[in-house]
Amino acid sequence: MLPQIRTEFRKIATVRSPWLLLAAGPVIVVAGVTGLIQSGGNVHDPAVQSRALAHVGLAAVITLIFGVLAVAGEYRHGTITDTFLSFPGRGRVVAAKLAVYGFAGAAAGLVSSAVAIGTTAAWWAAKGATIQLSAQDTWLTLGGGVAANCAFAIIGVGLGALIRNVVGAVALALAWIAVIEGIAGQLVGSGLARWLPFYASQALDGSGIASATPLLPQWGGGLVLLGYAAAFAAAAVLVTLRRDVT
Amino acid sequence: MAEIEVRGLRKTFGAVTAVRDMSFTASAGQVTGFLGPNGSGKTTTLRAALGLIWPTAGDVLIGGVPYRRLGRPRRRVGALLEATGFHPGRRARDHLRVLAAPDGLPDRRVDEVLDLAGLGESANRRVREFSLGMRQRLGLAAALLGDPQVLLLDEPANGLDPAGIAWLRGLLRALAGEGRTIVVASHVLSEVAQTADHVVIVNAGELRFSGPLRELGGSGALESAFLRLTAVPG
Repeated sequence: MLPQIRTEFRKIATVRSPWLLLAAGPVIVVAGVTGLIQSGGNVHDPAVQSRALAHVGLAAVITLIFGVLAVAGEYRHGTITDTFLSFPGRGRVVAAKLAVYGFAGAAAGLVSSAVAIGTTAAWWAAKGATIQLSAQDTWLTLGGGVAANCAFAIIGVGLGALIRNVVGAVALALAWIAVIEGIAGQLVGSGLARWLPFYASQALDGSGIASATPLLPQWGGGLVLLGYAAAFAAAAVLVTLRRDVT
Repeated sequence: MAEIEVRGLRKTFGAVTAVRDMSFTASAGQVTGFLGPNGSGKTTTLRAALGLIWPTAGDVLIGGVPYRRLGRPRRRVGALLEATGFHPGRRARDHLRVLAAPDGLPDRRVDEVLDLAGLGESANRRVREFSLGMRQRLGLAAALLGDPQVLLLDEPANGLDPAGIAWLRGLLRALAGEGRTIVVASHVLSEVAQTADHVVIVNAGELRFSGPLRELGGSGALESAFLRLTAVPG
């Protein structure tokens, strides 16, 4: 697997666009935290602090799109042919992409976490309070955000492998968030909605604290998201193995 | 000696049979011209040889082994296909370094093939700035990177200027002279006539001719023989 992983690292190290995309994650975090405070968030309320820090999960949408580039991006640029010429054993190529993009997603989650802490601390200080970083909940929230970003990177890789079209896969993901999770989730009712991936992600990173929809416990959200990631990863490998590259 | 054996190859895409019962051999030490009209199954055959397409029946062996079972395939087989693409934001040198990574080929080798292909000056430019001819040269450099015994090239002269075409012709003849197996698929019959020793002609997914160029009446007669062998019946 080492040659495949080394090659995948070299691929993303030699282009700029995926990194520009990932950089949008911290920007979203800053915007989200700022918006929370500007709309009257009470800095002395620990729940508000949790909500501020939980914007790491929002950045997961960026990480999902980043994951889509792994396979669908190669189809878009036609480099998938070279990839399969280099490695006729396609399963390991997909596995390497899952590993490398998952790792990058987790790292992006870590950066977003650091930015979330920094931005929250700055706003809290500006409003005359101090951020309570010692709370175990805070670290769990941040860890959950990192895990969610990693999982969504993997889901993105799988989605891109299934649809093989960057624009199509991204459109599908955004439509899913807006329609299935956004609207249907509200309509179908609490029992089912919390099992959907973004609802599970909210449970994992604590961003759903004020949600009207009952969510799973954090460990439950983590397991459900892990299940989705594993399912997409398996589908990515299986669907790539016997496909004709014309 | 690594020859390419196409054995009873058959490929259907849904209701369309792209290749039917194709069998021929491309031997080492010569340039084999692979000719056929558009839609004749040339590309499908080449892609099946490279493990990109799964045969419906039959197979293609390279040195007695299917491509998929070659260890370090780029050290054994180099390919230039029409649809091979480039990430536009990647520098030419890095494009080759990505292809060099699987086998751990050193950067020195990357620079060697860039110079060989006449891209030494443009190595650090991003592919989006490349003309068609430069992209073609980069593709050729990629095919040569692993110093392979076998080369499968689809329209390699596409976009090359006359000097480039002459250079390529000389290169392919030299490589064949070293005992390598060279297959060139091309529509430019005049060029094939000057480069190939052996000719394979296909039409509508079927083999129409496989033999030495001289059997068709030599290079002067290639075009008329081709048109006769690939004429639509009726």
